[in-house]
Amino acid sequence: MFSLNNVSKSFGNLQVLKPTTVDFHTGESTVLIGPSGCGKSTLLRILVGLIDADAGTILFDGTPLTVQNIQQQRQRMGYVIQDGGLFPHLTARQNVGLLASHLGWDQAKVKARVEELAELTRLPRVALDRYPSQISGGQRQRVGIMRALMLDPAVMLLDEPMGALDPLVRFDLQEDLRKIFRTLGKTSIMVTHDMGEAAFFGDRVMMLGEGEVVQEGRLEELIQNPTNEYVARFINAQRIPQS
Amino acid sequence: MKSLLAVVFVLGCASWLCSNAQAQEKPKVRVGSKSFTESVILGDLLYHLGNQAGADMEHLSELGGTQVLWKALVKGDIDAYVDYTGTIQELLSKLVEPGVEVRTEADMRAAMDKLDIVMTDRVGFNNTYALGMRDAIAEKLGITKISDLRGHPELKFGISDEFMERNDCWRQLPAKYRLPHKDVRTMDHNLAYRGLAHNSIQVTDLYTTDAEIEFYKLRVLEDDKGFFPTYYSVILMRKDLAKRAPKVAEAYLKLENAIDSKAMTGMTAKVRLDRLLEANVAAEFLNEKMNLSIPYQGIGPLAEWKRFLGRFTKTTLEHLFLVAVSLTLAIATAIPLGILSARNEAFGQTILAVVGVIQTLPSMAILVFMIPLFGLGAYPAIAALFFYSLLPIVRNTYAGLTQIPKATIESADVLGLGRRARLRLVELPLALPSILSGVKTAAVINVGTATIGAFIGAGGYGAPILTGIRLSSIPLILQGAVPAALLALIVQYGFSIVERRFVSPGLQSRL
Repeated sequence: MFSLNNVSKSFGNLQVLKPTTVDFHTGESTVLIGPSGCGKSTLLRILVGLIDADAGTILFDGTPLTVQNIQQQRQRMGYVIQDGGLFPHLTARQNVGLLASHLGWDQAKVKARVEELAELTRLPRVALDRYPSQISGGQRQRVGIMRALMLDPAVMLLDEPMGALDPLVRFDLQEDLRKIFRTLGKTSIMVTHDMGEAAFFGDRVMMLGEGEVVQEGRLEELIQNPTNEYVARFINAQRIPQS
Repeated sequence: MKSLLAVVFVLGCASWLCSNAQAQEKPKVRVGSKSFTESVILGDLLYHLGNQAGADMEHLSELGGTQVLWKALVKGDIDAYVDYTGTIQELLSKLVEPGVEVRTEADMRAAMDKLDIVMTDRVGFNNTYALGMRDAIAEKLGITKISDLRGHPELKFGISDEFMERNDCWRQLPAKYRLPHKDVRTMDHNLAYRGLAHNSIQVTDLYTTDAEIEFYKLRVLEDDKGFFPTYYSVILMRKDLAKRAPKVAEAYLKLENAIDSKAMTGMTAKVRLDRLLEANVAAEFLNEKMNLSIPYQGIGPLAEWKRFLGRFTKTTLEHLFLVAVSLTLAIATAIPLGILSARNEAFGQTILAVVGVIQTLPSMAILVFMIPLFGLGAYPAIAALFFYSLLPIVRNTYAGLTQIPKATIESADVLGLGRRARLRLVELPLALPSILSGVKTAAVINVGTATIGAFIGAGGYGAPILTGIRLSSIPLILQGAVPAALLALIVQYGFSIVERRFVSPGLQSRL
């Protein structure tokens, strides 16, 4: 799906992403994990073209991503951020249907698709015609996911999507989201710093530290054979409730 | 039946052609006046004489001062007006080539001739500047001449703008008489009389033909050092008037040596003290002096009421026109400027600085700059109002766009909207509350500022205010001020409705 070759990025003197060569495979869900400032969000933002890489090439489905084609290619990516990133002046329905309407979809088709997605993400119908400020955080997140899914993208990119939610809401949404991705067979790349979430979602886990990929593989491999002290410390730092 | 219709049709066409031909024959002549009563009466004299000579006349009354009238005369927006030799000398001193002396009236006439302006012989009276005080106070302090003021540095002066700025007036006067006074402020000539009456000032500049001298029991201080130049009134008219409307130009020459100081003061007193209409006073003078039969305008409550309604309708339409046109142009210009400013930081700072500087320019200055470009009337006023309306709209558009959270912009980008769709579908709707409040501010300021249009013949609610100040008539002032205030409230309310209608309910809690 994505194939990165020697991609790097610096902000001033700070190299936030060292030259990185990785592949993200079609149909697989990859979780990027690591502490704050490790470069995981930067990597995701480079993929959607919000940050231009200093060097290296990115192939998306075999096509190199460029400034010229990024806008077109983005319509094949679904991007979800914390709290949904919704437009406050539009209702949930309008948020989800904005791009499709702009691209000239028939209104009936837009309506049908939005309602299909509401069903899929278990968003209550009444919430569809409310504004973002009038619905709950969990519902906003569901709307954000619907908006990303609207054009049936080839890949879903999620930047700490559950970051702002309380545990109960988060739990339900995680369940639903995994079910959706499995049902649709979507390729997904998710950024999180939560091991539990990584374990729940990731077919493959990619751990980053100080701007580079430290280890990748299935989560069990990382737990059983951490390549270095850093990975071991990060894994062990996750607190499990004592009985 | 058909043939009857045909006859009616032919007759109609014929009468239309006739009236059209007549209208074409009638030359259009415009005269002007400054915003003091004597000048308005003189303007009406020119108006009546022109009418009698068969011209289609218009009197642009109470324009904002010598510069406005002079520029309009040179540009051809007016054909004639009455000015004073002292003023003309001052005016010409800046226009003639260096080294050319303009001392005598013959010098002035020659210099005017080069500018294609005819300066007539004296109309008759000398209306020079003087300093005046209330007689009782002058008596108590023992002041009879300007030199006597030197011993009373505590006296407060309230003088007119023009008097303050002229080389032959205040710029030289204190030096000539070695006057020590510190408390000297500029105020409208008519307000200064009220100031004298309330003793908030003690000394003011006067015109020697002012009717108030007698009314307020003022003492005209003797110019014991012969400082003030003479101010004989003369008619200035464009040379081409004699070709365009020879009968009118001829008629104006009849005013030479026709009005002495006593006659002029008498006419002014009839307007200011007896509250007669300028047009009627001017008509009466001409009817008696030149055996004409100019009809009088109606008097009495009914005529008064009709005039009020007519004036209200006219000024309202004029005011709405000024505001609507200037505001529409400003919105169409300022919103794109605000968008460009938000896109490009360096450009934005420059634009904001420029429109900010425009805002600080005095309105009168902008108006005078606009006359050579747009002439008199609504257009220069619209131009000035347009410039004043830019800042609030540009600034609020800029602020509204730059305050959108970065995450929202990124969401639009990542969606694949593209820049233009992002602006139209996301950024402008989000900035709309801010943009609308900028437009609202501009509109309310615009309604108030449009009153200055009266200074350059654009009419509007400023016209009755100006006349009211000149005639010390509170009802007249209110006829301009009250509708202007009401209009501002209506505009404010109107925009609240627009906000409710067009701003997304998702943003309304933030309003």
